[in-house]
Amino acid sequence: MVPGTANNFRSWLREHSQLGEQSQFSLSASLRAPSLAVLETEAFPTRKAEEWRYTPLKQLLAQSIEPLTGSSIDTDLLEQLKDSLTTAYRLVFIDGQFSSEHSNKLTDDFPAGLNIQLMAELDPESRQRAEATILTSKLSDDNIFQHITRGLSRAGLFIKLDRDIEIDIPIQIVYLSSTNSGVSCSTPINVVCLEENSRLQIVEQFASLKGTQTVTLPAEYIHLKAGAGLVLYKIGLESEATDHISNTSVQVAREASFKSHQYLLGSRLTRSNMEVHFSGPGGEALLRGIYLGDNSQHLDVRTYLDHAQPHCRSDQHFRGIMSGRSRGVFNGMVLVREQAQLTDARQSNKNLLLSRDARVDTKPQLEIYADDVKCAHGATVGELDPDALFYLQTRGISKPDAALMLTRAFAAVITQEIQIDTLRSQVHNEIAQRLNQIETSHV
Amino acid sequence: MLSIKDLHVSVEDKPILNGLSLEVKPGEIHAIMGPNGSGKSTLAHVLSGRDGYTITSGTVQYKGLDLLDLAPEIRAREGLFLAFQYPIEIPGVNNTSFLKKALNEIRKHRGEEELDAIDFLGLIKKQMKLVEMKEDLLKRPVNQGFSGGEKKRNEILQMAVLNPTLAILDETDSGLDIDALRIVAGGVNKLRSESNAFVVITHYQRLLDYIVPDFVHVLSNGRIIRSGTKELALELEERGYDWLIEKSETSS
Ligand SMILES: Nc1ncnc2c1ncn2[C@@H]1O[C@H](COP(=O)(O)OP(=O)(O)OP(=O)(O)O)[C@@H](O)[C@H]1O
Ligand SMILES: [Mg+2]
Repeated sequence: MVPGTANNFRSWLREHSQLGEQSQFSLSASLRAPSLAVLETEAFPTRKAEEWRYTPLKQLLAQSIEPLTGSSIDTDLLEQLKDSLTTAYRLVFIDGQFSSEHSNKLTDDFPAGLNIQLMAELDPESRQRAEATILTSKLSDDNIFQHITRGLSRAGLFIKLDRDIEIDIPIQIVYLSSTNSGVSCSTPINVVCLEENSRLQIVEQFASLKGTQTVTLPAEYIHLKAGAGLVLYKIGLESEATDHISNTSVQVAREASFKSHQYLLGSRLTRSNMEVHFSGPGGEALLRGIYLGDNSQHLDVRTYLDHAQPHCRSDQHFRGIMSGRSRGVFNGMVLVREQAQLTDARQSNKNLLLSRDARVDTKPQLEIYADDVKCAHGATVGELDPDALFYLQTRGISKPDAALMLTRAFAAVITQEIQIDTLRSQVHNEIAQRLNQIETSHV
Repeated sequence: MLSIKDLHVSVEDKPILNGLSLEVKPGEIHAIMGPNGSGKSTLAHVLSGRDGYTITSGTVQYKGLDLLDLAPEIRAREGLFLAFQYPIEIPGVNNTSFLKKALNEIRKHRGEEELDAIDFLGLIKKQMKLVEMKEDLLKRPVNQGFSGGEKKRNEILQMAVLNPTLAILDETDSGLDIDALRIVAGGVNKLRSESNAFVVITHYQRLLDYIVPDFVHVLSNGRIIRSGTKELALELEERGYDWLIEKSETSS
């Protein structure tokens, strides 16, 4: 250890990267090595780095990490998550370990053409495919957290769907943290490959017991081949003692479609970086999301849309609701390269501040190098409409209730796009519950 | 029921109501007329509890309560209703669930049982016939994308459902076609009883053919400068306001 550094997370990383049998890791040694080298040499970003200006890492980095134990779980919480989908192929990780008890059987529970394996236990052919997907994935924000996950991950899934297969039943992936002594770190890595014209829905839920301290660092690499379609839901419900930094890289080939719905409702710190790279013409990316913060939560949403091919369409709509002393960041980049004619790119970010001390920094960015394109972006930060509040009050509705109605309505514009009924109502309830707490604590 | 005494109100230090007094008893209909900017909407807003007005002096008693002391929602639950001159659009809030919530808040306050979805739907269907409103407007967000006339009908629908003790109608007739005017007036007449009262703000004598007032008041420069019966409205229709305003200026 370098003398004088009191960097507990860093020292944990140093020690931890040397430990463990090769067979326990998600990735092979040759793929881990470059990432481990990055961990050796690279410093954590400070707030001097433009991309990390708003993201406070101090608390995260000051923590020392305890080993993951896979301890007892809160069955109520798990049941609640299960209820959000009436039918699903379910895969549950508890404190970073796959729980076969709560999951579908990996060998025979899935329909033909759907291949799901644990990253640490891949057959050679799947390993080759999974790692090739990672190697060809791009992240313009090649941050150190991606390398922590690549270097240390022992959890996560490889999901591959064969061509022309459409599966209506969603795949539900639950990450549950329940360690209540010390801080644990979980680093799941998922690789999703959809072959030509196949279709799949994935619902990822991150949750933890109240008070559980976790650093969750998921990395996800998605490859959609021509004509394939993926709908990816990500619901973040972790406790306010957790930090969550995720990286998602999506490659969208010719006429493929990627739809993402992110609901970031938990964590002390959340930073979600999602990048979509169009690798063929006619692709589509639809990104939706809500970030909802209270107390001193920090929620940071990043998107990067790389229109490197002509005739692709991207449509982003993110809404932030910030209360207490919370802070939201939206940083959305749309890059339209010279060859990307007939691009249709839309981006909208709207924010609602429910308290004086809440803050949002929104930074929509458009870089256009092609001339025949349709691009639109806009961002707003505002408060509840006082005229609307008054109108509701004159009908007998109390001010807190009126504020709640208006805020829920603000969120509903996004949530109504969730296509799975039970999931939509679960998300609705989670949002309503949080807003209720906000209203009762502040008004 | 309502007793306004020497009310002075200003907005950002600008006096708008300058010693307004008005008595309204159960069963009465009062019409308030007066030139643009004379303070009619301000009166309506102050009575319903809108922020941003400073009451510099005067009192308002409503059913024996100090009205100005109550939060807007409490006034509403006590039976006060304002039909807005410019109803507010509320995106994302469903018209029906909004109205159900409003009614149940008022019922709770009165110690009555809340209506369930079925009973409420029965009630609203009945009242919709009264204002001849299209049913699809119920499924839409409150007032969003409604035409001017549809918004006004929606105000009257809310009034019919909430069944207020004192209703203030701020230019509900403006922007209505002649059929709609008759329907809105018909609604008011059906709701009218010995125990409730209406304050109808209007620019047009025409409305008063349908809603026949017991009293007509002329508001000018924040004060009632003349009160009379419905004949006063006819006279105003013919002669305008100038003669009255000149007279009040010379007399004061
Ligand atoms: N918030 C405000 N700030 C400044 N002036 C205001 C405000 N609200 C009202 N006023 C002023 O007070 C006066 C009375 O306005 P009010 O809306 O009550 O008139 P009104 O009689 O309803 O007129 P109209 O017939 O046009 O509806 C006007 O001169 C108006 O400009
Ligand atoms: Mg007015």
